[in-house]
Amino acid sequence: MHPSVEAFALAAGLLALGAALVHRFGFPPLPIYLLTGLWVGGALPVEDLEPLPSLGLLLLLFSVGLEFGPDRLRSLSGKAVRAGFYDGLALPVGFFLGLMAGLDWRGAALLAGVIYVSSSAVIVKLIIDLRRAANPESEVVLGVLVLEDLVVALLLALLGGHGAWEVLGSLLLFSAYLAFARFLGPRLVRFMESLSDELVLLLGAGFTSGTALLFHGVGASEGVGAFLAGVIAATLGLRERLERLFGPVRDLGVALFFLVVGAGARDLFQGLTPAVVVLALLGLLVKLPLNHLGGTRAGLSRKRGLYSALYLVPRGEFNLVLGALAQAQGYPLVAQVAVLLVLVSIPLGALLIRFAPDIGRWLYPKGQRAKPAQAKAP
Amino acid sequence: MKVEEVVLPGVGRKYTVTVGSGDRIVIVVHSSGKRELQYFEAGEDEEPSAALDLTDEEARELGAILAGVLFHPEAVGDTQSKLGQKVIEWIRVLPGSQLAGRRVGELPLPQGAHLLAVDRPGAPLIPNPDPETVLEVGDTLVVAGTREAVEALKRSL
Repeated sequence: MHPSVEAFALAAGLLALGAALVHRFGFPPLPIYLLTGLWVGGALPVEDLEPLPSLGLLLLLFSVGLEFGPDRLRSLSGKAVRAGFYDGLALPVGFFLGLMAGLDWRGAALLAGVIYVSSSAVIVKLIIDLRRAANPESEVVLGVLVLEDLVVALLLALLGGHGAWEVLGSLLLFSAYLAFARFLGPRLVRFMESLSDELVLLLGAGFTSGTALLFHGVGASEGVGAFLAGVIAATLGLRERLERLFGPVRDLGVALFFLVVGAGARDLFQGLTPAVVVLALLGLLVKLPLNHLGGTRAGLSRKRGLYSALYLVPRGEFNLVLGALAQAQGYPLVAQVAVLLVLVSIPLGALLIRFAPDIGRWLYPKGQRAKPAQAKAP
Repeated sequence: MKVEEVVLPGVGRKYTVTVGSGDRIVIVVHSSGKRELQYFEAGEDEEPSAALDLTDEEARELGAILAGVLFHPEAVGDTQSKLGQKVIEWIRVLPGSQLAGRRVGELPLPQGAHLLAVDRPGAPLIPNPDPETVLEVGDTLVVAGTREAVEALKRSL
């Protein structure tokens, strides 16, 4: 028997146990996958689980591209763009922090990305699980996430290669994909509709991993490739279909992926330096006031603005992609900050979002609003 | 009634329906088919007074009841029936309406809208009324035509 079967059975059992435990308390399961990995990581034969976790991350980025691609920009409200502008101020702040920490411009740019980007996948799941979708702040938060994902995908394409040629290559590839989505996408929609579910599933899987390989080939991050594959699939009119077809496979892969991240973090903690902890903490703190300001500028009340800032705490998939890139390019400090941020921000963010109404009530006692209460219509 | 539609990436779509009284209902249609409803009283935009979750099936059933599929209230004179791109509309002549006392020939019928009949309570239906017929309060005009023309007529009244 292949050793992966044993590892898989063990991992799936542990994850199911963890998810069942938190489900009782009305808590989302994602942070538990991380913590389970952290807890039992030493005893778990993590390598045997491959390639499921790696594919899980690619599929996760694929579905983020599917839902948060640039075609969503058109339906974005002015509110979200305003909030996204203030959110984007985290980039220069992160860059400055990186320079202060003694990194060169490339390392500082990677750190800026790590601090800037929140996790669309985690936040969407938390919003749905905690029943916050109808709230006004969710609309703003989700719009901000669309902008963040686009900016970080561009950043990854820019920072992917080492030499000027590689950067140019990945940028060209990036633009070629976006141009393909823009000009050829609409014409292929009808053709894609005629394909069977099974064919779409296989084509989607081949397309995602193939694009990831292609981007890896030109020296860029394979994560951007998977993200762009999702963007293309969305413009081909396959959004709902692929969500439905890939959903369960992705959820399984993502659960295993977060387990492996948790397990891998044990090594990280052994090499933890104060600089890493300080940078991660600053990264967590710097976005809170920016997003609070952005939220209120987007027309939310101060309380709802606070909620929106809390919603944007969790970091996830793109942080790990940026971290892997930083590690490969010789910036272990940035890689450690990225992973530490994910580990801390997901459980913390889940708690903050869960108890956001209580925090809001405590900070802004009833009746206090950003704008004066309007007179009741007669 | 005002309806605002917003796309929530990764979640679905959000509809904010503001009715005449100023009360609002926020409806989130999830990609999974689930519906979330929140009710806000007029003037209140912070905390919903009530919330309701529906499965896809429940939402459709509720929608059918609201649309009057199961029971069509008699009291409503103003209804539309769809025939592809054409519509039939029943327009009631209310007390104080500018229509009362006017002749059919004077009706400002836009291009593409036709008066099929006048339904007068307690009298036989007047099909294809001649231009000299005088409208009374309580009459119901049966108008058919393209949607734009019928909507234009309704607005002009």
